[in-house]
Amino acid sequence: MYMFWKKKQIENKLVAQSITESELSIEALKKSLVQMDDAEFVEIDISVIRKIHLVYIRTLIDQEKLNESIIKPLTKCSKPSIQDCITNSSIIHIPNFIEAKKQLFSGSILLFDSSQNLWLAVPLKNPIGRAIETSETETIMFGAKDSFSEQVEQNITLIRRRLPIHELKAEKFTVGSMSETSVVLMYIEGLTNPDFVSTVKEKISEINFDLFFDSSQVAAFLEDHQNSIFPQFQQTDRPDVVAYSLGLGKITLLVDNTPFALVAPITFFHLFQSPEDYINRWVVASFLRIIRYVCFLLSVSLIPIYVALTTHHYQMIPIQTLLVLVDSRSKLPFTPFWEAFIMLIFIEIIKEASLRMPTKTSQTLGVIGGIVIGQAAVEAGFASNVLIVMVGISTIASFLIPNYLMTKANSLMQLMLLVFSSLLGIIGIALGSIAILAHLNSLSSIKQPYFSPVSPFFRKDWIDLFIRGPLTKMLERPEHLKPLKLKRYKTRR
Amino acid sequence: MRLHKKICKRLILLFMTFWLSGCAPFTENKLIEEISPVTFLSISKGDKGKLTVSTIMPPLSKEKKFVMSQEVSLLKEGVQKYNLNFYQEMKSGQMRMLVISDELGRDGIMSIINVLLTDPDISPRIYLVIVKGNFDEYLESQLDKDENFDYSFYRMLKHYEEKNQGELTVVNLHEFKNLLYTPYSDPFLPVFKLEEDGVNYEGTALFKDDKLVETISSLDDRIFQLINNDHYLVVLPIQKFEIVLGHVRSKVIVDIDSSYSTMTYTVNIDTRIEEYRGEKQLFDPKQLENMKKDIETHLEKQTHELVKKMQELKVDPLQLGIQTKRPFSKPMEEKKWIEMFEKMDIKIKYNINIDPLTDANSKRQNL
Repeated sequence: MYMFWKKKQIENKLVAQSITESELSIEALKKSLVQMDDAEFVEIDISVIRKIHLVYIRTLIDQEKLNESIIKPLTKCSKPSIQDCITNSSIIHIPNFIEAKKQLFSGSILLFDSSQNLWLAVPLKNPIGRAIETSETETIMFGAKDSFSEQVEQNITLIRRRLPIHELKAEKFTVGSMSETSVVLMYIEGLTNPDFVSTVKEKISEINFDLFFDSSQVAAFLEDHQNSIFPQFQQTDRPDVVAYSLGLGKITLLVDNTPFALVAPITFFHLFQSPEDYINRWVVASFLRIIRYVCFLLSVSLIPIYVALTTHHYQMIPIQTLLVLVDSRSKLPFTPFWEAFIMLIFIEIIKEASLRMPTKTSQTLGVIGGIVIGQAAVEAGFASNVLIVMVGISTIASFLIPNYLMTKANSLMQLMLLVFSSLLGIIGIALGSIAILAHLNSLSSIKQPYFSPVSPFFRKDWIDLFIRGPLTKMLERPEHLKPLKLKRYKTRR
Repeated sequence: MRLHKKICKRLILLFMTFWLSGCAPFTENKLIEEISPVTFLSISKGDKGKLTVSTIMPPLSKEKKFVMSQEVSLLKEGVQKYNLNFYQEMKSGQMRMLVISDELGRDGIMSIINVLLTDPDISPRIYLVIVKGNFDEYLESQLDKDENFDYSFYRMLKHYEEKNQGELTVVNLHEFKNLLYTPYSDPFLPVFKLEEDGVNYEGTALFKDDKLVETISSLDDRIFQLINNDHYLVVLPIQKFEIVLGHVRSKVIVDIDSSYSTMTYTVNIDTRIEEYRGEKQLFDPKQLENMKKDIETHLEKQTHELVKKMQELKVDPLQLGIQTKRPFSKPMEEKKWIEMFEKMDIKIKYNINIDPLTDANSKRQNL
């Protein structure tokens, strides 16, 4: 205990030292940027008496542009004010030391005109970053292919191109005491319920943490229920999804250095909607959506039902199936519960491994996984044929859910029901389902009920719930989002 | 302290979930690889009023099977004796058939039916079958030839039960119980006869209360299927006229006069001729009409004899007594009805409509 206490004291001293800086001067900057190899201090002589100091971080700025728009014009400058010489569009006056450092580390060049004692900052951010690429997490056959990248400005551009209206607001916040991550809150004024905006703003202002590298980390601080397995923010890297959500009256958070935007409020049913639903013909889209719900139920309950039937309810199995089951189970060393549990854990291991491994080795993994699961396990007498088929079906079924975070929640729910089913059979599954339903009903996403429009009930929203109704009939925005403008069409005069 | 209260409340809730729903958290061990769920039981008469209960063990796995037979005085005692003699516990939740010997049937099967009805494990959909002959011996002889004899037999009954296929009588426990305990009705069961070539369907056993009194077979059984059980027959061969009627569907109208002395039993039949090997020219409407008349009188006579037999035996599987029920009046006592039924004059009338296979009214009639 003594060791930890001592360490804390040293940390406190270090913090105290770094605060005592205030006066803005070249010397002060040099002092604070000491031992930084990429910090540059340049002097440009315009005339005999006039010197311009340039301070910048080499790795953060665009060197070419620096030459083009600052150094070249300045050497030829004859005007009294240096602002008139610089060709860059935005020039910011800097009042104090803190602001100077902030600008410096966000990729600006600091200019100091010693004759006028004037500090200026010219943003010349290094444009290094990924280009706009196809989304890999939410792939679709038809529809727009572009996806967000790590640069928040670029992401806003992609959204603004889809919603070129002045009501689309983008408010910027900074979170993280060390990472200084900018978070952009987007919403449509006069359409989005102002409660959503104020709730999110309030939560962002309460954030007190140092590092944010991903939008999900931001989401963790904004969520109403952190201990739940269900995501309360939709994470998407597709600008069309974001634009559509904004148009319905939701809010969006873009986080710098993350290609994933956060969309809220969402409901449980949003996790089953794919962007392709709105591209396919409505009948086809509805069919696929229903299949997704069925697959969700299958993936969660198929193996628990198998365990329940084989351990507790042999009466309920059709006699033809029972013949096969008794035959395949007669020489197994494990009870159905342990057999299923081991197989499920094994599947999870393979799933996780295939994600982490480089793509070239994943082929080997697939072959080994396939042979081990498919044949060897049965031949070695670890698992029954019937269970292998069911594990296969439920695993593939779980991949149909478009939301990746939901797929993870799925496995946990499956394991929970498995335990219940082995203890109490079908009654256990019923009790477990009741628990899940009760939990879903208690959840909220930015203080909006998570299980609407089913509960609380909004009849009109059912047109885009289990089915995706024809677009021409979806003339009103979802009521459960409480938008300020409900109608999606212009009223005739 | 607050935490303790919270946990306490939750535990009470959990306890009440089980308690109020009547579920015990203690479950029987029913792992399918450790039990042997028998598919059928065969019950016959043993010595000194005892029962002989037998079945094939192990019922579902592919191990070598044998016939297990126990002589007991109580049915459940047999189940317990099985457990003591076999390494797997016997469970009755997958029971699909109950085979009763006709000797036992004649003595009455009420007690057996009641045992089955009160066991929550046993489905009310198990089939009841009467067998003539020694079923145990037959099973022994079948084990080498056909391992899944019990399953094939079950599949056959299931096939004819669904959507009234109109070939044989199939009665399950629920139906039998209803017929047994409902006033103005007597139950009936299918009868199979054991012969050297296999199990053959013989006909329908008629019961007076829970006692087997008569077996009707061949044409009588066909008529019984047609007028009561299925109201449908795939084929109805009438050897007398060398004709086979196919796809026979019937509608029965029963009329009783106010003094309950005469009953008119009208059977309307829609059918078509499937096969004919006689001399008559069926394209001729007159001859066809004659043929129809002949068949009608033949069936009327046969049915009359069948009903007469029922009257003599005082059994009413056709549930004719229901006709005496009137609104706003006290239903007749069953005893009184049976007395009346015995003396009742029952008139049978058949109306046959034969769908022509060819256009019988076309010009070809003169050829």
